[in-house]
Amino acid sequence: MNCENAKLQLLDYHRERLPAEVQEEVRTHLHACSSCAQADRDERTLSDLLERQLPQHPARPALKRRLAALVKATTPAHEPWFPFPVARWLAPALAAGLLATTGLLVYSKAPRGGSELALITSEAVNDHLRVLNSQRPVEIESGGPHQVKPWFQGKLDFSPDVPEVAPLVLQGGSVGYFRDRKAAVIVYALRLHTVTLLEVRAGDLPWPSSTSEVRAASDRRFNAFFWRGGDLGYALVSDIDAKELGAIAREIAARK
Amino acid sequence: MLKWLPARTKSSLGHEALAYADTLHNLARYLTRSESDAEDLVQETYVRALQASAQFAVGTNLKAWLFTILRNAQLSRYRSERSKPMAGVDDIAATAEAIQDAPSSHDDFSLEQTKRIVGNDIEAAMRSLTEDARTVILLDLEGLAESEMALVLGCPAGTVKSRLSRARAALREKLADYAPEGKRE
Repeated sequence: MNCENAKLQLLDYHRERLPAEVQEEVRTHLHACSSCAQADRDERTLSDLLERQLPQHPARPALKRRLAALVKATTPAHEPWFPFPVARWLAPALAAGLLATTGLLVYSKAPRGGSELALITSEAVNDHLRVLNSQRPVEIESGGPHQVKPWFQGKLDFSPDVPEVAPLVLQGGSVGYFRDRKAAVIVYALRLHTVTLLEVRAGDLPWPSSTSEVRAASDRRFNAFFWRGGDLGYALVSDIDAKELGAIAREIAARK
Repeated sequence: MLKWLPARTKSSLGHEALAYADTLHNLARYLTRSESDAEDLVQETYVRALQASAQFAVGTNLKAWLFTILRNAQLSRYRSERSKPMAGVDDIAATAEAIQDAPSSHDDFSLEQTKRIVGNDIEAAMRSLTEDARTVILLDLEGLAESEMALVLGCPAGTVKSRLSRARAALREKLADYAPEGKRE
């Protein structure tokens, strides 16, 4: 074993993670080579120093509380109670059989494309939650739309709208992510509630295809409204009443 | 975990992940420049983890998986804030090679001399390293296996050992500056 190989193995040698014969080769080399023996002592000293004295930065209790709330908010209230995969498909099959034998007709009210809408709804609500839980929900504090809108220049490959709509009070904006692409995140206050407007290149995402259509959805008790303006997709999310949020969404959409 | 058990549910994964809040925050604190950035990064890590919970494979080390998400989130932030300079992968290679090529000053780095090095000095030395160097040292301290570190760092498992070795060499160089009796002339 040469010095280069021996030095590369020193950490594993200390931690006895090497195969027995390699461990012995390193040991033999260290006995014979003063330079590597010194390097060995240095490695042990550094490990000792790091383990005993490197300051640790545990999460503050406030952060832990927010994380716990996030886990609670983003997990379903009732997860499947069948623990095994076979039971998971067997249960619906039994239920379907029962319905068939009793002559019941099941009619799904879910609109076509509902699962696709659910996909972007979940993402939009997650982004809204991120705003709610962030200590710095906006990167640019609002001094009005004329201050917030220019801030996005160079940060996105499109120019976002920063609409002013009563009774929303503009708080500011930031750059976020919506799935795999950048998004403009515009944050408003409405009484004691936070309202988030997301703007993103709709591309292949299942946004409403018509510019005049505003679609409503809800997830985890948050309401969300989606519409399209050119090649941009818009999502307005909040926990305020769906009727009130919908009216605001339609007003913003109508301005396009 | 036994292989025949079902994958974790979203809820159980989320609750298990909460146990790693301290260690994730510690890594985030060393990767970012402020407490608020670290907290935001940890929070984003949990959001991403919960979104991707279905992709968590049985048998994967949850801590390593969370570290991977945290590091990817940090890289995303770095890309979105390119105006703020931060050392990247290329920098560590350059720095580490320069250190390897430089004459060794290991003789200065004895236990006796490091006794007066305090935690703040080590933290300052760590912060002066490149992000990759800090990360690989901290992951090693967390007890991750080389294959797990490779997953987090996004590099082949075969290069982890050399990266770690060079990162530690860089740290020793920095720490030698703090050793009161061993400062290089």
